[in-house]
Amino acid sequence: MVERCYVPKSLEEALSIRKETGAHPLAGGSDLMVQYKQGLGITPVFPFPVMIISSLDDLKGIETLEDGSILIRALSTPAEIASFEGMPYPVRCAASRMGAVALRNTATIGGNLGNASPKGDLPQPLILLDATVVLKSQDGEREMKVDDFILGSKKTALADDEIIYAVRIPRVEYTHVYYRKIGTRRANAISKLSLSALARVEDGVVVDFRAASGAAGPKVIRSHETEDILKGHGVDEMDSLMPAVLEGWNNAISPHAMPEYRRATTRRMLEHFLSSIAAHQEGGIIE
Amino acid sequence: MTRIDDRIRRVDAAEKARGEAVYLCDVKMEGMLNARFVRSTIARGMIDSIEVPQLPDGYWFISARDIPEGGRNSLVMIAGDWRCFADGDVRYVGETIGVLVGPSPAVLKALEKEIRITYTEREPAITIDDAIAVKGGPILEKDDVHCSLVSEKGENVEDVLARADEIFEETIETGFQEHVHLETNAAICCIEDGKYTFYISCQCPFYVRKSVAGLLGLQPSDIRVKQTTTGGAFGGKEHFPDVLAGPLLVAESVIRKPIRLVFDREEDMLYSVKRHPSKIVFRTGLDKDGNLLGSDIDVYYNCGAYLSSSYVVLQRGVFHANGVYDFPSTRIHGYGMATNTFPSDAFRGFGAPQTLFAIETHLDHIAAKFGFDPVEYKRRYFLKQGDETVTQGHVVEKVVLEEMLDQVARKSDYWRKTKEYARGGGRGIGMSFYNHGGAFTGNGEQSIIKAHLKLVKDGDRFTILCGQTEMGQGFRTILRKIVASVLEIDMDDVVYDNPDTDCVPDSGPTAASRSTMVVGRLAEEAAMQMKERLDEEHVEIETEYRHPDGHPWDQSTFKGDAYLGYGWGCACVEVEVDRLTNEVKVVGIWSSHDIGKAIDELIVHGQVNGGIIQSLGYASMEKMENRNGHFRQTSMSDYVVPTSMDFPRQEWGLVDNPYEWGPFGAKGMGELVFNGADAAYIDALERALDVTINRIPMPVEDIEGVRHD
Repeated sequence: MVERCYVPKSLEEALSIRKETGAHPLAGGSDLMVQYKQGLGITPVFPFPVMIISSLDDLKGIETLEDGSILIRALSTPAEIASFEGMPYPVRCAASRMGAVALRNTATIGGNLGNASPKGDLPQPLILLDATVVLKSQDGEREMKVDDFILGSKKTALADDEIIYAVRIPRVEYTHVYYRKIGTRRANAISKLSLSALARVEDGVVVDFRAASGAAGPKVIRSHETEDILKGHGVDEMDSLMPAVLEGWNNAISPHAMPEYRRATTRRMLEHFLSSIAAHQEGGIIE
Repeated sequence: MTRIDDRIRRVDAAEKARGEAVYLCDVKMEGMLNARFVRSTIARGMIDSIEVPQLPDGYWFISARDIPEGGRNSLVMIAGDWRCFADGDVRYVGETIGVLVGPSPAVLKALEKEIRITYTEREPAITIDDAIAVKGGPILEKDDVHCSLVSEKGENVEDVLARADEIFEETIETGFQEHVHLETNAAICCIEDGKYTFYISCQCPFYVRKSVAGLLGLQPSDIRVKQTTTGGAFGGKEHFPDVLAGPLLVAESVIRKPIRLVFDREEDMLYSVKRHPSKIVFRTGLDKDGNLLGSDIDVYYNCGAYLSSSYVVLQRGVFHANGVYDFPSTRIHGYGMATNTFPSDAFRGFGAPQTLFAIETHLDHIAAKFGFDPVEYKRRYFLKQGDETVTQGHVVEKVVLEEMLDQVARKSDYWRKTKEYARGGGRGIGMSFYNHGGAFTGNGEQSIIKAHLKLVKDGDRFTILCGQTEMGQGFRTILRKIVASVLEIDMDDVVYDNPDTDCVPDSGPTAASRSTMVVGRLAEEAAMQMKERLDEEHVEIETEYRHPDGHPWDQSTFKGDAYLGYGWGCACVEVEVDRLTNEVKVVGIWSSHDIGKAIDELIVHGQVNGGIIQSLGYASMEKMENRNGHFRQTSMSDYVVPTSMDFPRQEWGLVDNPYEWGPFGAKGMGELVFNGADAAYIDALERALDVTINRIPMPVEDIEGVRHD
């Protein structure tokens, strides 16, 4: 009982259908088919027209561009993302731990962003890296930060005539990097909380520092204000600056469920990362 | 030729692995209709009106008013209080009000949404504490106590506590647990040869016909029940299939076409029975050196809206409340509390796991307080053969707990680790001891069930006829193996199919770890008699349960030998806790069990692995919450059961301790292996973090609440 279902043969056709009917793109179906299921023996019912875009080659593939950024087209699966050479560590971690194997071969990055679940795995490292999303419509193309694209829980800035074309991850230099997802179990798990962080230390000075918290509020949280506290300061000042960073971060997150756990754990993980920067100036992946 | 010590590939393994096994939802019949339950959306209140829209041709809405004259609106389980259809009032969210029947599942779903039911709501009682406080007024006639009992042994416990140097008081609680059988609940009701006939995924086909016959004023023998291949149960298909079968039978009496009802996963999660949550309150008297003098224990189980089988669950809980220990004196009060939650019912362990978890954890806390190693402390009180039980009966068999402890301690290197791992050091090891009374509690086997089994010889073929079901536990393999081994023939020459109540004698339910111990014994006896008559072409031998002499039981006072044999267990768990995130990594699991004798080592190995993982899930991640009568976890992504990634490979062992009245010396084991790993895990976790834990489950966010850093 689909209101209307289209199967475009090209990106142009998809954009035209999107403009005329507002049909929602359906790719892997791992969110939409679950969200609109009707129960055993009953076809899912969508309250809007859909178009199945999974065969559109224009939306497939991952490549490294000349400027060093990575372009991940919308139909790329977590399995493809995780195995792409040069994929930044936090993105690789997030992609390789999404759901079960079947999901990692079915879900798409476009769907994960478009669905904008607070518990989604990919937005968190993408926002850390200041990744952008490329949106296409018949009128052309626009590009905006993933952080601006996702407005809140299940809300995005996608216009009625646009579809997600790709995600672009700029080249980000870092010396220290951290990724942690606490799931409901060790495999095939939904995220209870996640944190990624990175830092670039040059000659004992913190040139860059960022963190992103997943599942700790209606959308992924970054706090540029808090990040700025450290930037430009020497690693030897870490001890004195740490309380302000931790406090700033604690004020930035807004967990509504399990607040005590999410706040305390985020604080401990961040503290661990910052202490590790001071302790291991040579850099690397912080476990 | 099959020998009892051969390791057998399960007879049903290939068909299930290949997807060839036919489950209920695969069955199709000419003209078959579908059914959809219309359920209460509130926990407690009066039904003011039910407005049913104009139904299309070929669609029906069946409710209490369709129960014919002479029929009773009652599902006869152990008690008969659970109504087939709510009538006048509703007592829990999900209570069946009616059933829609017709050809299209999509139309049925749309019709369900159009049915308008108005209620006058009353404040529900959801938790044990709500029920104790009689929140919202009594659910039953005068209070919220469905059932209660008391067991005592030794001196008057108040006198003992009065002279104790110290009274250690604490409360330990356990949560709901969902069965998550792979196959959801499902049934078909039809008429075959003029007789009401069920095809049904269930543990106990004879229970189904007994339960529903009275709805139409019929006798159980007027109804035929054919078990279909059952994809897991864990107790969730012991009585609960009756709740599907009842409304289907009433509908069938009106519609007279095959009607199928298959729950989807969300229905099976939200609207099915669960393990009883518990609250267990200890007042334990100790002398100045920490020696146990006696304990006064109050056991509360949340039974939900109907009594169903809960009195027997509660009895088992009370009878296991001293664990594997010989308390000099004890008094245990058990209370089965009525609440407005979905009725709680059978689940692997049947009331024993809650009190066993509580006593283990309580003793760990006493040991920690007095500075004893918990294992050293507990072993002082191990029950021995001949010791008095809490029902003033006696432990019948030789108890080999010391041997099991030794086995587990050696493999796990417990004695070194318990000394080396500092409390609060992030790494911990814990151990638990437990048992499980085999077969029905008290006089169930001799007075109520009176199991029968038939063995038929036709030429070279031998057919076992009994009501036991295969539900994934391996019983089809076990029973054929017992008969083939006695007859010294090949298992392939022994037939044992899914039971059909019109063709097999009633050997009692497939429950209570009784199938191998009791029914396996009947098969062994039948085969031994058969062996004397192998020269005859056609032979039929029927055997009947006989209670061993000298083991009295008084059902009115609950005194005597509550069980004729226990399985015994020892489990050890080692954990590492991530102090940043509270994530617990289990790095080792070791166990030893006394099950008398393993009929098939491969099947036993599977049961040990599965039971222990299910118990670790119960202790750690399986959280089922209820708000205002609604379960909050609705799918397998929010009710989380462990995967094979969560726990490491287990090391396991058995001790040989043949049991006099079991086939080849075997005792029950299916539930035993669930009964203790939870406490070992919590013991290890408490030691790793230096915390005190008084409830399960303990997912990462709840560990945060007990940390004090």
